Amino acid sequence: MTESLILEERKDFIKFGFEKSGKTAIKCESNSVSGAVSQRACVYCGARVVLNPITDAFHIVHGPIGCASYTWDIRGSLTSGSDLYRNSFSTDLTEQDIVFGGEKKLSAAIDEVVQKHNPKVIFVYATCIVGVIGDDVEAVCRHAEKKHGTRVIPVKSPGFSGNKSYGYKMACNAILELLRPHNNISKTHGVNILGDFNLAGEMWIIKNYLNEIGIPVVSTITGDAGYDNLIKAPSAGLNLVQCAGSMTYLAKKMEAEMNIPFIKVSFFGVEDTSQSLIRIAEAIGTEENINKAKTFTQSESDRLRPLLEKYKSRLEGKKAAIYVGGGFKAISLIRQFNQMGIETVVVGTQTGKPEEYEIITGLVGQNAVILDDANPAELETFMKEKDADILVGGVKERPLAYKLGIAFCDHNHERKHALAGYEGVVNFTKEINLSMNSPVWEYIKQET
Amino acid sequence: MSKNLVNLTVNPCKMCMPMGSVSAFYGIKKCMTILHGSQGCSTYIRRHMATHYNEPVDIASSSLTEEGTVFGGEGNLIKGIENMISLYKPEIIGVATTCLAETIGEDINRIINEFFKKHPEANVRIIPVSSAGYSGTQYEGFFKALRAIVENVEMDVKKNDKVNIITGLISPADTRYLKKLLDSMKIDYILLPDISDNLDGEYKKVYNRLQEGGTSIEEISLMGGAKLTIELSTFIKGEDSPAEYLYEAYGVPYVRCSLPVGLRDTDMFIRQLVKAGGTMCAETKKERGRYLDSIIDSHKYNSEGRAVIFGEPDFVYSTVRLCAENGIMPVVVATGSKCSSLSNLLIEEIQKASDYAFVEKFKIIDDCDFDTIEKYALEFGANVMIGSSDGRRIEEKHKLPLVRCAFPIHDNIGGQRVRILGYEGSITLLDRITNTLLTQKEHSFRSALYNKYYKSNLETKSNMREAVLPVETPSEDMKTVNLKKSATHPCFNGCGSGYARIHLPVAPKCNIQCNYCVRKYDCPNESRPGVTTEILSPEQALGKYKIVKQKMPNLTVVGIAGPGDSLADFENTRKTLALIKEFDSQVTFCLSTNGLMLPIYAEELAGLGVSHVTVTMNAVNATIGAKIYKHIDYMGNRYFGEVGAAILMANQMAGIKKLSSLGVVCKVNVVMLKGINEYHVRQVVKKAKELGCDISNIMQLIPVAGSAFENMPLTSNKEIMEMRKICGEIMPQMYHCRQCRADAVGTLDNDQSIEFRGCTSATNKKGILFAVSSKSGVLVDQHFGHATDFYIYEYVNKSIRFREKRSVSKYCDGSESCDGMGSGNKEGKMDAILEAVKDCNGVVAMRIGEVPKQRLKEKSIEIFTTYDRIEDAVKKAAEQLCV
Repeated sequence: MTESLILEERKDFIKFGFEKSGKTAIKCESNSVSGAVSQRACVYCGARVVLNPITDAFHIVHGPIGCASYTWDIRGSLTSGSDLYRNSFSTDLTEQDIVFGGEKKLSAAIDEVVQKHNPKVIFVYATCIVGVIGDDVEAVCRHAEKKHGTRVIPVKSPGFSGNKSYGYKMACNAILELLRPHNNISKTHGVNILGDFNLAGEMWIIKNYLNEIGIPVVSTITGDAGYDNLIKAPSAGLNLVQCAGSMTYLAKKMEAEMNIPFIKVSFFGVEDTSQSLIRIAEAIGTEENINKAKTFTQSESDRLRPLLEKYKSRLEGKKAAIYVGGGFKAISLIRQFNQMGIETVVVGTQTGKPEEYEIITGLVGQNAVILDDANPAELETFMKEKDADILVGGVKERPLAYKLGIAFCDHNHERKHALAGYEGVVNFTKEINLSMNSPVWEYIKQET
Repeated sequence: MSKNLVNLTVNPCKMCMPMGSVSAFYGIKKCMTILHGSQGCSTYIRRHMATHYNEPVDIASSSLTEEGTVFGGEGNLIKGIENMISLYKPEIIGVATTCLAETIGEDINRIINEFFKKHPEANVRIIPVSSAGYSGTQYEGFFKALRAIVENVEMDVKKNDKVNIITGLISPADTRYLKKLLDSMKIDYILLPDISDNLDGEYKKVYNRLQEGGTSIEEISLMGGAKLTIELSTFIKGEDSPAEYLYEAYGVPYVRCSLPVGLRDTDMFIRQLVKAGGTMCAETKKERGRYLDSIIDSHKYNSEGRAVIFGEPDFVYSTVRLCAENGIMPVVVATGSKCSSLSNLLIEEIQKASDYAFVEKFKIIDDCDFDTIEKYALEFGANVMIGSSDGRRIEEKHKLPLVRCAFPIHDNIGGQRVRILGYEGSITLLDRITNTLLTQKEHSFRSALYNKYYKSNLETKSNMREAVLPVETPSEDMKTVNLKKSATHPCFNGCGSGYARIHLPVAPKCNIQCNYCVRKYDCPNESRPGVTTEILSPEQALGKYKIVKQKMPNLTVVGIAGPGDSLADFENTRKTLALIKEFDSQVTFCLSTNGLMLPIYAEELAGLGVSHVTVTMNAVNATIGAKIYKHIDYMGNRYFGEVGAAILMANQMAGIKKLSSLGVVCKVNVVMLKGINEYHVRQVVKKAKELGCDISNIMQLIPVAGSAFENMPLTSNKEIMEMRKICGEIMPQMYHCRQCRADAVGTLDNDQSIEFRGCTSATNKKGILFAVSSKSGVLVDQHFGHATDFYIYEYVNKSIRFREKRSVSKYCDGSESCDGMGSGNKEGKMDAILEAVKDCNGVVAMRIGEVPKQRLKEKSIEIFTTYDRIEDAVKKAAEQLCV
């Protein structure tokens, strides 16, 4: 039964917990299988995820309307300043533009934007069509930059040119391009936070923690970032990399070009958050900062302990399925579930890397199944087979879980509650309980 | 021109063609759709549909890559169709093209032929539809797919007694209604498409990933022999119309009706059905009667409606007519599609509504974006929007309520159950619109009428406020003590030098917006209130105080002056004062505030030993105040204009009065603003005197870039001095104000804040070093040989400490292609790795190869392999090494 639902060319992308050692590694980082109904998005999507939180930038999508229409203000990145980024600007290319090229339209669009709004920076996203009809977006941007003295930065993101991860890289290149003129500004005492997008105010939470332990923050990339603040990034003494999947590339480049070392951190789960804060203090702070970090993390952990204990009795022994974007997030979720006494029985990612899958394999039990770039049919099959009680995933997976009578936790860019830091642990635990132990399942189970 | 910007669409009011096409295919039985293009299109469309319908939405993609784009996507598409068949076993497959496939010129028919050549056994019907995203919107895409479906199904041309009903994108609940209506009228019909089950399924024990509902191919094949087609669309184009095709190819006559929304269009539709042989049943007649009854009930409320209606042309047309027949004035009528006839067909209707309501301005716009809709909605004073949840930005920004009743609805549940069709659906929609108007009125009429009519002057209001405050006798002793402290307070002793003060920037938040202020305080070179380079926690503030006091013995005063308002975030202020008081009981505490929260905290401030408080009070008249303060945030609400100013001033006055009754020395700061309060300053000072203030300080405006008063003409020094002189007759004046920073340190004449920024230091001691190979930075999760970075930990005094992260690439000898980022020259990389860890006593890694193991041993570096959290692993390793 199970076997027939798995496409032949998908079999290498699936691994089982009992195959821990010896067997060849899971296949990943490949193109999606045509017709398999992948849950992945495209290069443009990846680039947009990373750059969109820059609040005072003009994000112009150069292409037909769809790309701009479907990405308009759907993410939960919050702002303390401008809310320009919540708009969607599109050159809205039409049949005629496809025939005669869209360069002139783009160029005129930039002129118009500069004249009417005088923005500090414009990002121009090249979509599928632009790559094919041969618009030289870079040249248009370069020319506009010269003409107006405003930063106009091309983002090379035609959808077909790779997957979402490649889009992250293209976004990082755009950020580097933005920073380069400021690479040599003098260093100050402070850190940049990379790879947090201020979903539901998570960047603010992290900044509050750093403030609590006395570590100044120079720039945030890109959650709640603004141009003026962003260009100070090269002056930081240390980069903190939170979403390793999207930002390690940028951190490495910044280390090479701006001489800023980086450390990876994680603010998911109590232990990760505590250790990360202490390490940050040790990396750049004084004796006093380190002591503060230790005191602060201890008192937060103490504060949370009784609450987590209280919930544990309701969660222990349940089974979870995970389907998320990156491997790093999947790993931290498995570990959080382990702490709650929940077994992870299905785990998959859209863009996990080989090393991440190796870790995942190490973390899960014999009974688990691991999937790269899974499709709805596989998720359905394995969630049923493994009898999962809850699925953690994105918006597209939610209705599937519900149709199968399985609880759901939103771990995506649209959520409206924080999952990072100590606050996040509380929210996450509560959400898991409230969905998994909802009274509705009693009635659902009675159905025959 | 229908857009604010000529060359840019700002916040699109439309989606793309493939979206419409896949929606139409969702109404066909046992059908799956594949989008021929790059992966993102299908994912984005699925996301949009899944949140609206709350149903699993499976749409395949041919996942075109660079290679497919250059050499053609035939292989991908054939593979995709094969895979869909194995996973879903569909009987129909819709192939919709995307921008990419159309631009690279894919010949879909040929590819489908190739597929069947390869799979002659395949029992599936493949229906291609050309739907380049750039040649239309979802509206056209929907009908194009329906047309492709009827074109691709072989028809049974034998005449039958059926009526074809073709609809645009209506909700599953409306589809069910339509079927019920047709059944009740005893019409033998074929409904195309039928999304009633597929996009609003039941919960069942067994889940079918291929949807079982929808119009079947057998039914569709009878459409060519039907006696009539009724097409429910006003604006469908001939070349996209299934009805026209059925007429041209099979001679099936057709009529076109608008969507049956509202009285007239529902009547019209039912008349057509009666003509086609149906009979209107008693229940429908009752429904009609109830509709008439309900529109009388709500007509007066509706007459206040000024509506923005946006969406697909057919939806907009019908909703406008529903509104117009109920006296709701449609002021902005907009569609994102190109549809020039929208205006022609609606102008008379809207003109009539406008004559009725005496509303002159309205606009009908096609090819429109939300930027433009927003502009006219505000200009024409709209009070309700009707459309999809894409209007939510305008709703949030301008508090203009939105009735969500069209695709897509992301931020509410129940998109699949939206009802607008028929008499009953019309009542449902109309009730929602009316209730939105009523709720809005209920929420706003009190304050609106208060603002409009309540014109009493502020003095009376504040007197009322004071009257209820308990009368307290000033504590004379406390006052004497505090006045003595003024002698060592540089701001209150009348001469600027001698004694030093420190401003501790612990209060970043502010609860009011003054028009002369921009809440960006980070600037090292600018010196004015509200500026600081750092924000300190209470503990840090104590630390800074200790250090400065040591170096500056004449430091007598600790002040809290923001950079926001010291009482807006009172927790930090309270804690700072308490900590410093505990450390140094002799210090003079001083605080400045806008006074909004003063009545609440005055007592506690006095209790904490605050002897001096400065309140910035620029007016005692609400009309003048409203020009200075944009808004205030008080008790969870934001108040604008005179209401906000009145609350602020009442609190300032009550607060000052309370403070002086408690013996606290009070100073009033007044910013003298040309053309706003220059003739009012004296009154402010007079009032301050009455309230028990001891000194006032009249200041110049600092024109801050980006503030509302950025370009305001400045009051000259001479004018300030003259004003101080006049007010000096009322009470003592401060003549030496320097308008300092929120982190000022030193005497008034010598700000030394720069020397004390980030003033803490560290010492290093060397212990045992460990190099950890980690990918995630959280766990020991990497092979030694794969390491690109090492986390260096130190073990000293029985505890571990992170020292630094080393990038292997920095230890490359340069000649190799060893970039530290992955592959490259293997040996060169290993050299670099070994170089990076050579000063360490141990390495901690997930695994390690034999060769590096040997080489580390040669350098007597210990090896620990584990899979653990970094800190735990290092601790264990250190303990082992030190036993």
